[in-house]
Amino acid sequence: MAESVPLGVGAAKPRPLRRPRPMSTSMLPRRSRLSVAVFLLPPLLLYGVAVLLPIVQSLFLSLFRWDGITDMAFVGIDNYVKMLTRDDVFWTAFGNALGYLAICLVLQLGGALVVASLLTALPRARELVKTIYLLPAVISTVAIAILFQRIYSLEPVGLLNQVLAWVGLEGLQNAWLSDVQTVLAAVSIPEGWRFTGLYMLIIYAALIAVPRELEEAARLDGASWWQVFWRIRFPYIRPVWITTTIMATTFALRGFDIPYLLTNGGPGQASELLTTYMYKTAFVHTDYGYASAISVFIVVECLVAVGLIFLLLRRRDDS
Amino acid sequence: MTAPVLTPAAPRQSEPQPPRPARPARRRTVSLSPRLRMQRTLLTVTIVLIVIVQVYPLAWLFLTSFRTAADFAGGNPFALPSEWTLDNYARAFDTGNLGLNIVNSLVVTLGSSVFIVLAGMMAAYALQVLGFRFSGLIKALFLLGIIVPVQIALVPLFIDYSQIGLLDTHLSMIIPLAAFALPMAIYLFSSFYEYIPREMYEAASIDGAGPYRIFGQITFPLSANTIITVVLVNSIFIWNDFIFANTFVLSDGLKTIPLGLQNYIGAMGNTDWTATFAAVCVTVTPLLLVFLVLNKAMISGLESGATKG
Repeated sequence: MAESVPLGVGAAKPRPLRRPRPMSTSMLPRRSRLSVAVFLLPPLLLYGVAVLLPIVQSLFLSLFRWDGITDMAFVGIDNYVKMLTRDDVFWTAFGNALGYLAICLVLQLGGALVVASLLTALPRARELVKTIYLLPAVISTVAIAILFQRIYSLEPVGLLNQVLAWVGLEGLQNAWLSDVQTVLAAVSIPEGWRFTGLYMLIIYAALIAVPRELEEAARLDGASWWQVFWRIRFPYIRPVWITTTIMATTFALRGFDIPYLLTNGGPGQASELLTTYMYKTAFVHTDYGYASAISVFIVVECLVAVGLIFLLLRRRDDS
Repeated sequence: MTAPVLTPAAPRQSEPQPPRPARPARRRTVSLSPRLRMQRTLLTVTIVLIVIVQVYPLAWLFLTSFRTAADFAGGNPFALPSEWTLDNYARAFDTGNLGLNIVNSLVVTLGSSVFIVLAGMMAAYALQVLGFRFSGLIKALFLLGIIVPVQIALVPLFIDYSQIGLLDTHLSMIIPLAAFALPMAIYLFSSFYEYIPREMYEAASIDGAGPYRIFGQITFPLSANTIITVVLVNSIFIWNDFIFANTFVLSDGLKTIPLGLQNYIGAMGNTDWTATFAAVCVTVTPLLLVFLVLNKAMISGLESGATKG
């Protein structure tokens, strides 16, 4: 599955004619097995130690109850049973994570597509707009959390509440981060804001690669702007759209920093995500077994999401 | 949005190629000019508004760092500072360990970059150039890492580190940061190595060069541009890493910038906001400057990173 990510994208741009591949998989006429090992093993070791081994360890730990001090107790799949059937917080966090995902996707992909489309029509200063638009992606999440804490604040009046006052909506002024109704949106928006420039950049690069001849031919046939967009431009950038959707989705599902820093999941569990819940379970309650079960769930969730995206976006391609 | 029947040949302003302005086309459609011009103005205004909303928070951050505390607490947040002051910066340096934090972030970013580049090139060379029987499988294994969330590694690494005494070191951050960035680096290097012509290797081989010399004298030097891309793109994420640093580092002496900033809020109960903002500005500026200077390379790096990966 993972391998088809780049393959799907590769279709977007002209690939060099693949020269007929000889039987040998090597580009060198001569090489030894030893040389393969010398080059392959160090990277594989690094990757194995910090990525593959932890996945296996998490699967293993998720079958135990362990606080890191007393002896490990084997509990079988009880952690998973507890997670799926007895733990309301888990489901709240899961629901919140989906809400967080939805807001991030709308802001990042929707916003990026709109701005990128507008930008293709801008006569000048496109590079400048691109640069400025990308700036928030360079700022650390801690700085962003500090910034948004002041944007949302009520006392002293932060930027958002001040704007509301100016447009005559004082009634809507709110302590956005301590209101159970608004806090999830409030912690999602900074994440959406921060990376929208990145996706805009990618989608813009794809949009300007759409051959003009196609669009002009469609217009000659009387297609409206909207039709040109949906029938010509969007199908053309679909491979890149799939990539950006996968990037944005997996990034949002692993989103952690901003909710953790802004509200730490609160008030109550109103902005608890699976990631923050897992982190607290592991490092506040030192329940390593249960935390591992949650982290395994997060990985499964990402894999399922990527699979779904392929299924949904690909199928339309075939029809 | 437009009446297609009336404007059969009207060249829209959505010109894909930046270097081709619509000048010759506009002459042909004189009657539409005012309308096109209005559309264009509307478009420019919209984009300017969007850009302002997007960047204003950052501008506000810098403005606020020059405000006095009283001005911040009582004044209109959108107004320019009533009195410009540098005191916040003095207090920011007094309370925190900004210098040390920056050094730690540099160590971690440079260390991780070295690992990512070396390991990425070596793996791509083995997979793409040398090739072997199960290279497809190994490549898939690496690429899987692109979608694996980092959270899966936190508990196991924390336990492993505490057993081998690696907790609370620079290396404890560098290893996972490098490993999780490796898949994308391998992908970028591999797709570049695919384009190096086989004939080049054959010629070197006839001259008696083995796989090691060929790597050192052909593949590595040719990789310069990809190395820059990989380093630039990863530096943003590594410089700003919070989760690994927050999990594996405990002592003040090793804290990177994100942790240092977090201290400003935690340590001072009643937060000194203007000093905190000054600290944020100090720590944000290095990367911001690098970005502004190298934005061409960085933007094309991000674009290629995504459109290839």
